[in-house]
Amino acid sequence: MIDLRVQPLDEKRILISGIPSVLAAMLRELPEILELRDSPDARARLYPNPTAGSDNINREWHQLAGPELRHLFVSAGETLTRDLTALTADKENGDAWQVAFPIEHVPAWMNALNQARLILGEVHKIDEAEMNRTDFDPQSPKHMAALRIHLLGYLLHLFVELDSAHEPGKHV
Amino acid sequence: MALPIETGQPGVIVIGETEPKDELSSPWNVIVHNDPINLMSYVTMVFMRVFGYPRPRAETLMLEVHQKGRSLVWSGGRERAELYVHQLHSYQLLATMEKSEA
Repeated sequence: MIDLRVQPLDEKRILISGIPSVLAAMLRELPEILELRDSPDARARLYPNPTAGSDNINREWHQLAGPELRHLFVSAGETLTRDLTALTADKENGDAWQVAFPIEHVPAWMNALNQARLILGEVHKIDEAEMNRTDFDPQSPKHMAALRIHLLGYLLHLFVELDSAHEPGKHV
Repeated sequence: MALPIETGQPGVIVIGETEPKDELSSPWNVIVHNDPINLMSYVTMVFMRVFGYPRPRAETLMLEVHQKGRSLVWSGGRERAELYVHQLHSYQLLATMEKSEA
């Protein structure tokens, strides 16, 4: 049974606990996946045109906004990669894993997790039908990419829920 | 976007605009497009953060993106539209801007 949780450890740190071994393995692969952000397919997705038809605006946009976006994405990946070095066994949850990191790193984690999902989606040409798949053939790289996208998405969703707990009228 | 323009007079430079004034003042639409990967909960959160929309409005726009393939999420001046598109791209949403035909 998965008891994956993302919660404040104290005022300054976030704890992800109950990380199943398969997800821990995926997290360790994230730095390698994020390195693919400069592949042609991933670039088109991570740095999209701001207009559908204005070449001038698009060209100027990529010159001005492109480096700033890339810096943001690279920086988020580096933060997550550093934090993952603290991934350790979660002794209270069987053979699960856990990791704690500063609360100000949460935006970087969310950014890097979503980057990795989008990169996997582009590299493996994952469409809506693949995302709706419920059976996964371990021999199929495409199926395994879709499974990774879902599992990383579940973790991302827990971060979103943590964020929404701070909305007015809600309590952690 | 403002650019310095040489006037021909020594030491005198004026700040000009790269677009005609009516283009700057005409409304621009910010459109968010559907993609198969981004989570619905994540897109809702981004709309709330970027535009400050309350959850019900953010969810309505997110569902429009999901069901119709795109949603007009904001309309207004060009510079603000550029800022919003940039922010949406930083959250990895597929966003474009287009001049309003209205």
